[in-house]
Amino acid sequence: MNPTPKTPSKWILAYFTICALAMIWPGALIANRIEPFVLGLPFFVFWYVAWVFALFLGLLIAYQKDNKEARDE
Amino acid sequence: MSDPLIITSITIAYLVIVLIVGLRARQHQSSSLESYVAGGRHMGLLVLFFILGAEVFSAFAFLGAPGWAYSRGAPALYIIAYLTLSVIVWWLIAPYISRLGRLHGYLTQAEFLSACYPTKKNFLGLFIGVISVLAIIPYMTIQIAGAGLLFEAATSGTIPFWLGSLLACAVVTAYVYASGLQGIGWTNLLQGIMMVAVAWFLGLATADQLFGGVSEMFRELQREAPEYLTMPGANGMGWGAFSTAILVSALGCVMWPHIFMKFYSAKSERTLKRVFVLYPLYSYLLVPLLIIGFAGVVLLADSPLDSADQVLLTIVVEIADFPPWLVGLALSGALAAAMSTAANLAHTAATILIRDVGQHLPSLKNLPDKKALKLTQYGVVIVSLLAYFLALANPGSLVGLLLGAYGIVVQLLPMLLGALFWRHASKVGALAGLVVGAAITLLLEFGISAPFGWHAGFCGLLINAIVFISISVAVPSTSQLSPAQALERPNG
Repeated sequence: MNPTPKTPSKWILAYFTICALAMIWPGALIANRIEPFVLGLPFFVFWYVAWVFALFLGLLIAYQKDNKEARDE
Repeated sequence: MSDPLIITSITIAYLVIVLIVGLRARQHQSSSLESYVAGGRHMGLLVLFFILGAEVFSAFAFLGAPGWAYSRGAPALYIIAYLTLSVIVWWLIAPYISRLGRLHGYLTQAEFLSACYPTKKNFLGLFIGVISVLAIIPYMTIQIAGAGLLFEAATSGTIPFWLGSLLACAVVTAYVYASGLQGIGWTNLLQGIMMVAVAWFLGLATADQLFGGVSEMFRELQREAPEYLTMPGANGMGWGAFSTAILVSALGCVMWPHIFMKFYSAKSERTLKRVFVLYPLYSYLLVPLLIIGFAGVVLLADSPLDSADQVLLTIVVEIADFPPWLVGLALSGALAAAMSTAANLAHTAATILIRDVGQHLPSLKNLPDKKALKLTQYGVVIVSLLAYFLALANPGSLVGLLLGAYGIVVQLLPMLLGALFWRHASKVGALAGLVVGAAITLLLEFGISAPFGWHAGFCGLLINAIVFISISVAVPSTSQLSPAQALERPNG
């Protein structure tokens, strides 16, 4: 049997919360404009594309951290 | 060959390939219910990633999402936001569900929750089973109807609605019946790749051909109708409505039984987490589809569509000068999105009918495994037929049923989180929260309008959580473990 899954660290939870707040009120307020265009996208559209990637990176780091801890035990 | 004939031939060829892949997957499967429903809890990274991706992204991705961008503009980004953020909830709870499922042999969502909160005659399990099926059947009907619409529009009526939906429904039923989760897995791998490829190609090719590029398309939209590019969009969706819709959809996504039940099928907790790491990238699929919707604002400025959901089809079939073979591939990709979701829904509804609802009938109690498997397979056929006939009849009440039933399913979330993480979680509190939350959701959805334009389900969840927490705190508790932790250690 595997050990009980660990509760994610405070850092990961804080990071997830930031990602969520960035995509809704109030975080998304600061991105609510058309200029500048980034990657050919208006800024507000690009904002969402960027945060999807940020969430992916956060999950990747959380996964590697979990894995490392599992190996160290 | 005439254009509609070429389009039809290519699409039929695609359906045949899907059918062959789905039927061949049968050889990976042993004849047990656990294998049929959860792939023997042995699904690996690649297949599970595409199962989840392709089941989450449905016909809505090709019809509704571009329709939102076309009719409202920026608020359509709520779809990307919630589908991405839902992975956070999965990340937090799925490993526990997978683990307890393996330990106790759970295959459904109701089994998990009723083990955490045992009720008399397992009333809670029956309730969850019935309400889940009531949510799944209209959702599946929408996929089958979407397939019919796509077929009819892309072939200019050569394949009428009834035949298009029948073809898609029959292919799905056949491979789910024969191969269970293995069939879904291998076909979703194919359908998932197909829909991603088609979405990106269509988005980029449309912008390139009609505007000279994505950036140029957005520049043109900025000159002609800049209100589409920022909140509150073209018809004024407020930040409150936008944010609460994202939150409730992201939180509630996990309570869809066809998603929840996939957690049982993973080979290991590590596999699950790897799937979740990659999952956000799948939601980029929506970017090109929204681009087509935005392009529609400029392209269709002089002759607005009656139904916004038609925007992608109208542009691809009528405005862009794509060769017929390409329209055939585009249709296949959009059908892939509808069919891969429909397959999971039929499979899940049948399992719930037999495991959660059926066990309350005296004649179906304690079925031998072989018989339960056979009944589940028949269930797949019955559910699919029902969805097909509902799609033909197209009762207007279907959307109401979906909103109402799914609205109640989402209200199971607080009790699930409580069961996993909170040692004070009490059954009385959980049930009271569920009842109050469901009542508030239904009242705000169909009765009075919600305060501040908030999402009805979000208000329901808030009140639900407050009731659940206050009652649970008031009830004396001696347990050092949360209800789900207690299941892990039956003796201590």
